[in-house]
Amino acid sequence: MELHESSRSQTSLLAITIVALLLQVGLAPQISIFGGCVNFMMILAAVYAFSGNASRAVIAGFLCGLFYDLTASVPVGLMTLLLTIGNFILSNSSAAAIGASPANTYRLVAVYCLVVSMLYGLILFIMGSQTDIITSLFGHGLATAVLSAIVAIPFFLVAGVSDSSRRGFSVKGKGSRYKGIR
Amino acid sequence: MGYNNRTQSTGFRPLIVLCIVSVLLLTFYIREGESGPIHTVRAGVSTVTSPVRMLGSIVATPFDGLGNIFSNLTASQETLDELRSQNQELTAQVAELSEAKETATRLEGLLDLRSTYNLQSTAARIIGMSSDAWSRTVTIDKGSLDGLALNMPVTNSAGVIGQIIEVAPNTATVRLATDESSGISAMVQSTRAQGMLQGQPDGTLRLEYVSTDSDVKEGDIIVTSGIGGVYPKGLPLGTVTTVERDSNSVYYTIVVRSAVTTENNEEVLVITSLTDEQTASDEDVAAANDTPQGGARDDGSAETGSDAGNDGTTDEE
Repeated sequence: MELHESSRSQTSLLAITIVALLLQVGLAPQISIFGGCVNFMMILAAVYAFSGNASRAVIAGFLCGLFYDLTASVPVGLMTLLLTIGNFILSNSSAAAIGASPANTYRLVAVYCLVVSMLYGLILFIMGSQTDIITSLFGHGLATAVLSAIVAIPFFLVAGVSDSSRRGFSVKGKGSRYKGIR
Repeated sequence: MGYNNRTQSTGFRPLIVLCIVSVLLLTFYIREGESGPIHTVRAGVSTVTSPVRMLGSIVATPFDGLGNIFSNLTASQETLDELRSQNQELTAQVAELSEAKETATRLEGLLDLRSTYNLQSTAARIIGMSSDAWSRTVTIDKGSLDGLALNMPVTNSAGVIGQIIEVAPNTATVRLATDESSGISAMVQSTRAQGMLQGQPDGTLRLEYVSTDSDVKEGDIIVTSGIGGVYPKGLPLGTVTTVERDSNSVYYTIVVRSAVTTENNEEVLVITSLTDEQTASDEDVAAANDTPQGGARDDGSAETGSDAGNDGTTDEE
């Protein structure tokens, strides 16, 4: 039963990964609302952050960020760095949020999107890629964060993370990783 | 086993390693300029993902015109399902035919532009916009295999769109003139006052460094000056919407409305080479340096926007 559940969650994660990659390349360039674009890679990284394995979350954050950087007209390495660090923090935050309600999980994801997007806009301004910090932060960063946080909801519903923020895709129901931490 | 659990639970070691790799990537990317290993990898990724990008463009295009129809679907009655279905089908056909008609019109415009300016160019099609919020770029469906290269200017029938900043074998990324990293040597068509057209964070255009000695009015047409050798001179860039002069300032604050709009699936021209007569001559550069504020107003050309392309290549006397 556990093996079946684990296999199913792995399949879900793989499906979510493929869908997110396709949407990032195919759909994200077509949608721009209030100066923001949906960052599917940030969403995917957040999904992995709740997978119950911090090392995998960090690696996933790195790869998601790298894919984002390579498919957009942005400095390569910046989103990679932010999602790597962000996933480390989020995965450990989610580890701390044992038994959190779905609302708390989404709140955590929304904060993650907001912080990553705002930091991204701030660093672009510092690097000179953006000349107006207000537009960079509140025009593009905030809009991207809000859009991404909204679009993240169906991803997390499909992933089943909201059912138990602590139990991720590869973790069994009783929380073997929790024992490992302890 | 216990060691593995501990390693997995912290993730500290991969964090350190991958942060270092990220910083190195960012450093190398910044230092390698316009071409290098990282740009090559990005071009490869662009090539691999271009079919998905094209598919996304095709899927998204009908929604541009049918958005209102989809938003009204929820308000319909069940008994009208069949009629609604037919209505959708017909509407889709109308949208498709209208799109085809607009495509034909745009192609005619491109041909006119090409013949008017005698441009050496390659036609391409926009297959996607920027996937991040901080830059204004479009992706076109032609690349280095079609003879495109970095810094080539891109236009449509209305005027200048931007400049190629990245080239993959079968796609290219074009930085729009409205991107804040963009700067184009420009001049007021009627007075030949020189300036630099720069994109702004809010997506507007401003003509910078135009001396307050110049004669600039709302409605004036801004064209490329050809100085710099990237853009052919005389291509339309936009129209002046506001002119402000602050006290103690030596330059005007001039807001320009772009002459072009970029939409999915739209056809564009990539100018692959310039002839001598399309670039600014030494006399043009000398005249621009001597009289950056331009000369007397040519009222005829200032009031007729449609003439922007026809007399744009005329040298300043």
